[in-house]
Amino acid sequence: MSRLELNDVSYVYGEGTPFRTEALKNIDLSFSDGKITGLIGHTGSGKSTLVQLLNGLLKPTSGKVLLDGKDIWEKPKEIGKIRFRVGLVMQYPEYQLFDETVHKDIAFGPKNCGLSDQEIENAVLEAAEFVGLDKNILDKSPFEISGGQKRRAAIAGVIAMHPEVLILDEPAAGLDPRGRREILGGLKEYQRRNGTTVILVSHSMEDMAYYCDEVVVMNKAKVLMSGCVSDVFSKSAELESVGLDIPRIAHIAKALSDMGYDLKGELYTVDGVKNAIEKYIASIS
Amino acid sequence: MLSDITLGQYFPGFSILHKLDPRTKIISSIIYIVAIFVIKNVIGYALLILSALTLVFISKISLKVIIKGIKPVIIVLIFTMILNLFWTVGEGEPLVQWWIIKIYIDGIYRAIFMSLRVLVLIVATSLFLTYTTSPRMLTDAIESLLSPLKKIHVPIHDFAMMMTIALRFIPTLIEETDKIMNAQKSRGADFSTGGLIKRAKALIPVLIPLLVSSFKRADELAIAMECRCYRGGKGRTKFVKLTMKLSDYVFMTLIILFLAAVIAINYLPFGLRVGV
Repeated sequence: MSRLELNDVSYVYGEGTPFRTEALKNIDLSFSDGKITGLIGHTGSGKSTLVQLLNGLLKPTSGKVLLDGKDIWEKPKEIGKIRFRVGLVMQYPEYQLFDETVHKDIAFGPKNCGLSDQEIENAVLEAAEFVGLDKNILDKSPFEISGGQKRRAAIAGVIAMHPEVLILDEPAAGLDPRGRREILGGLKEYQRRNGTTVILVSHSMEDMAYYCDEVVVMNKAKVLMSGCVSDVFSKSAELESVGLDIPRIAHIAKALSDMGYDLKGELYTVDGVKNAIEKYIASIS
Repeated sequence: MLSDITLGQYFPGFSILHKLDPRTKIISSIIYIVAIFVIKNVIGYALLILSALTLVFISKISLKVIIKGIKPVIIVLIFTMILNLFWTVGEGEPLVQWWIIKIYIDGIYRAIFMSLRVLVLIVATSLFLTYTTSPRMLTDAIESLLSPLKKIHVPIHDFAMMMTIALRFIPTLIEETDKIMNAQKSRGADFSTGGLIKRAKALIPVLIPLLVSSFKRADELAIAMECRCYRGGKGRTKFVKLTMKLSDYVFMTLIILFLAAVIAINYLPFGLRVGV
């Protein structure tokens, strides 16, 4: 059994008003422990609603969200504790920064958890390191640092709480390629070292292929498919039918296969295809 | 939670009330408010309830929405009731007399009818001005109605533009507040327990980011407007021109007739008289 599960969950916005919309319809889903699961889907497919249900910011209209087999809404008054266990980094998290210094801002979450001063200090420094924040930035005001650094500080603010499940809603949106690599790489490193379950919402198929172990594809308030990365990306026709795409490098690999070159291995990352081509060349020569 | 606020929200639709010229609706609501406060006769109150229900009916806004809109003002209603109940000194013997509390029969009547006035006032004005009129139409109408003041160099257009922007950004700000609150909740912030001071303090992590982003937004909006060569109202044409149609004149006539009827009923020799 996995730690975090959704059991027949539906969510409706604006029930009883003219603006009623069904954001999620009867979702059954479980996230594998200790892996990075990618969540992809079109704008408005229900991804953001889904992640807010997972840490109890929204209460399902029907169905249950299970953490360690227990309904998180069993005791509605203790929903705050769930949020320490399931950490959520919202979209554009830099808007949540408020404190005098970056250090204090990262410490906000751990402080609310009730950690001791020493634990907080350690958590802050460790989180800052994972997201690649320099020590000298920690004493600056969060309003005078650059956009990329703000993003890192905000992500560190959630990592510092040491959640069992870490959810990130588009953590790399609007960053330059290098910032993207550094943040996502840092996350992967953090996940590898702590064995945390990570859920990553993204639009980028390349990022999915590179950083995730498993992928869940959402379409029109439902789960279209889920499984390990290579399974999902092998169904390119189905992905394209809902307006999603496979990584560009996978197109190239597919074209090569269609031309009769017998490539084997991870055919959806640049490194994987490179290895496959090298192996193929070695095998024919 | 924050998005539950319906007082001051526009519900798109195609009812008669939606289609009226916004100027008609502003003038009508002013006349209607006057009517509400000149009513003295109980028969007039009956007519008032009837007219309010008619308005609700023709607006095609669901009763549920209207009741939800009333909820935030229930405290005001209760306050009105209590004040009128205990502070009205009527003729004759008081009904209840205990310690310093004296309740007269007039007080009971007043409590009922005063809160009825407030209730109808809120329902009617929100029906006219917010539920069935988009904020844009409303500011257009205000600009048009106040335009005579331009003659004495009052910058009406600028006021109207400021109002449009302010109204336009209310939902955005609510949404943003919601987002920031969610983000801080995710970091373990607690907004719903503790005493007044603790709760006020808990709002700091929401208010600071909100303020910062509002300033940023204002700056960006100003730049965007300048990029499109906005330079105030002079020589500016309108995309949607307001026009008074036959239905507007009919509606206005009905409202004026309503006011006349209410005044006439006040002079009837029979019927209970309540109010000031």
